[in-house]
Amino acid sequence: MASAKPNQDLGQMPQAGRGIPPGFLRLLPTLIPLALLVLALVLPGHMFQSDQTASRVGLGPAAWPRAMLMGMAVFAALWIARDIWVLSAAGRKPTLSIPVEDTPYHFGKAIIGLIMIVAYGWLLPKIGFATATAIFILVWCLFGGLRNLLVVVPVTLIGTIALLWLFMGLALMPLPRGAGVFDNFSIWLLRATGIY
Amino acid sequence: MAALDLLGGGFLAAFQFWSFMTIVTGLLVGVVAGALPGISFVNAMAMALPFTYVMEPTQSMLFLGGIYVGGVFGGSISAILINVPGTPASLPATWDGYPMTKRGEAKRALTIAVTASATGGLVSALVLAFLSAPFASFALKFSQPEFFAATILGLVSVIAIAKDQPVITMVSLLLGIVVGTVGVDPLYGQARFSFGVPEMESGIRFVVVMIGLFAIGEVVDLLATNRDLRPKKSQGKAIGASFRDILNVKGAIARGTGIGCLIGMIPGAGATPGAVIAYGIEKQVSKRGKDFGTGVEEGLAAPEAAKNATTGAAMVPLLTLGIPGSAATAIMLAAMMLHGVSPGPLLFIMDPTMVYTIFAAMIIANILMIFAGIGVAQLFSTLMRTPPAILAAFIIVLSVVGAFGVRNNIFDVYVCLAFGVLGWGMKRVGFPSAPLVLGVILGPLAERYFLTSMANAQQDWTVFFTRPISGTILGLALVFILWSLSPGIKRLWIARRA
Repeated sequence: MASAKPNQDLGQMPQAGRGIPPGFLRLLPTLIPLALLVLALVLPGHMFQSDQTASRVGLGPAAWPRAMLMGMAVFAALWIARDIWVLSAAGRKPTLSIPVEDTPYHFGKAIIGLIMIVAYGWLLPKIGFATATAIFILVWCLFGGLRNLLVVVPVTLIGTIALLWLFMGLALMPLPRGAGVFDNFSIWLLRATGIY
Repeated sequence: MAALDLLGGGFLAAFQFWSFMTIVTGLLVGVVAGALPGISFVNAMAMALPFTYVMEPTQSMLFLGGIYVGGVFGGSISAILINVPGTPASLPATWDGYPMTKRGEAKRALTIAVTASATGGLVSALVLAFLSAPFASFALKFSQPEFFAATILGLVSVIAIAKDQPVITMVSLLLGIVVGTVGVDPLYGQARFSFGVPEMESGIRFVVVMIGLFAIGEVVDLLATNRDLRPKKSQGKAIGASFRDILNVKGAIARGTGIGCLIGMIPGAGATPGAVIAYGIEKQVSKRGKDFGTGVEEGLAAPEAAKNATTGAAMVPLLTLGIPGSAATAIMLAAMMLHGVSPGPLLFIMDPTMVYTIFAAMIIANILMIFAGIGVAQLFSTLMRTPPAILAAFIIVLSVVGAFGVRNNIFDVYVCLAFGVLGWGMKRVGFPSAPLVLGVILGPLAERYFLTSMANAQQDWTVFFTRPISGTILGLALVFILWSLSPGIKRLWIARRA
């Protein structure tokens, strides 16, 4: 999907993982199968809530997930075994390797981007779709390098109104209006735009 | 000869002004709905159902049939252009279609996709018209073990897309199946892995997982790499597909069409396994199989042809047996029943005009889809000229709305964001996310068919092997695994001997 070349030499690390210590990058792929193995072994014990017991009729509701987790544990163990075999000799490549992008990858920017997206989702029920979306589009565009306010502000305002009209007006989707003062603002905005 | 005469009559009826306009409207609604991530054509069909109350029974089927045909293709537009499959069946289009977009060949990828889809759909509509009855008698033999075997065949086909990493692919696939088990189980009604969160008891929807894994990771990468998605110009013209390009993928289209027609007729299978299996087989058959996933035309054409070839084929069990093979055909069944029409063998005797008008409409819709698809794709292609920062912001907002719209629930937004962060992480370490998505989509189906088969057979697991069709399909799955793994095993063998 990405232009990543999975088996590329880890020697090209500076481009692949700017901002992350190379030692950690080398270790990271080998930690993943271990984490998955632990997950596959621990999860069966947490399948049902403490006040529930699995039905004993037939195979029961636990049979399928348990079988899949067992399969996952087996394959994760195979993965670990292969990586141990890899680490034991020079010149062999681990099963997973950090993809190398054909352009520089800014990890810091990516992390901030992820935080912005998560914050947008978290703010939605609190400040409402309209306010959260307008703030998100504005901040994202500025952070993404678009500094011309004559472009960014109209895109933010027109875009938000268009999305409101499309989803709340046309598709009648009950998108979050926010709480308290934001709810009042959302209602005012929806009335002003003719959606309510 | 009688079938030809009836089909001729069907064409006459379908070309009546209002009937024709109904097909065109349905087609456009389907392409647009399919292209919007999170708003699937099945949602569009469900929303369109009340509008069919005021239509004649035949006209309502033309409308829904148009949405169905257009929607199955529409999903590939966003898959190719922004790496977000509009429908689950468009997942394979992201594997080779999106890399073409990144090379600046979006127009070429879209032309190949729409041609392959239209060809697959057209052949499938002809199959529907001429081979409905004989195939229906075969599909009648299918029961839960056969459905389970068909789903397993769809799941194992993921090995073919493993890129020499079968172990990791299996871990990803099994992780996806485990995610699919969250919530109330299909047979016993007990909630699993809910961890005391009431919303978890309703399960995790694959659309939400798909949006999170594909859209968010891609947008963050767009931000982190400052990638330019604008179509490249070749002597002042955007790079499009030539007639030779289409001829070069004719084999892939033919194979994809054949696979789609066969899979589509299996009730419960549908477009997604059809497209994935076609991709897997094409990867093995194609001379450029090793390069699949980097923007190979055959890797785009085969699943595109297969997924639209399932549309006509899926109508076979619906019209001849009254068995809906997918969510889309279930809505069509509902529309027929709302109008007091009972599909089944008798329908061919009682109202052949209606049946053959539907057949004709499916043929017309697939031809018109080339124009509708290119038109809507052009609109989307223009979007690619927008500055990446604006494009990325709107993709995120649409993705969040798409996740919310699945159940009108903010919990789905949180799940989508969690999978978005996970998807980005997986991408950064080269852990494949496509098998995980396939596991979330097909896992619940496989579990349901497995448990009901076992319950019906008094927990005798040999039922899957003693039934001839089920045994044959599972045998095919085994052959497929060995076939896919054979190049790797051969390489290991040669290396050991050296």
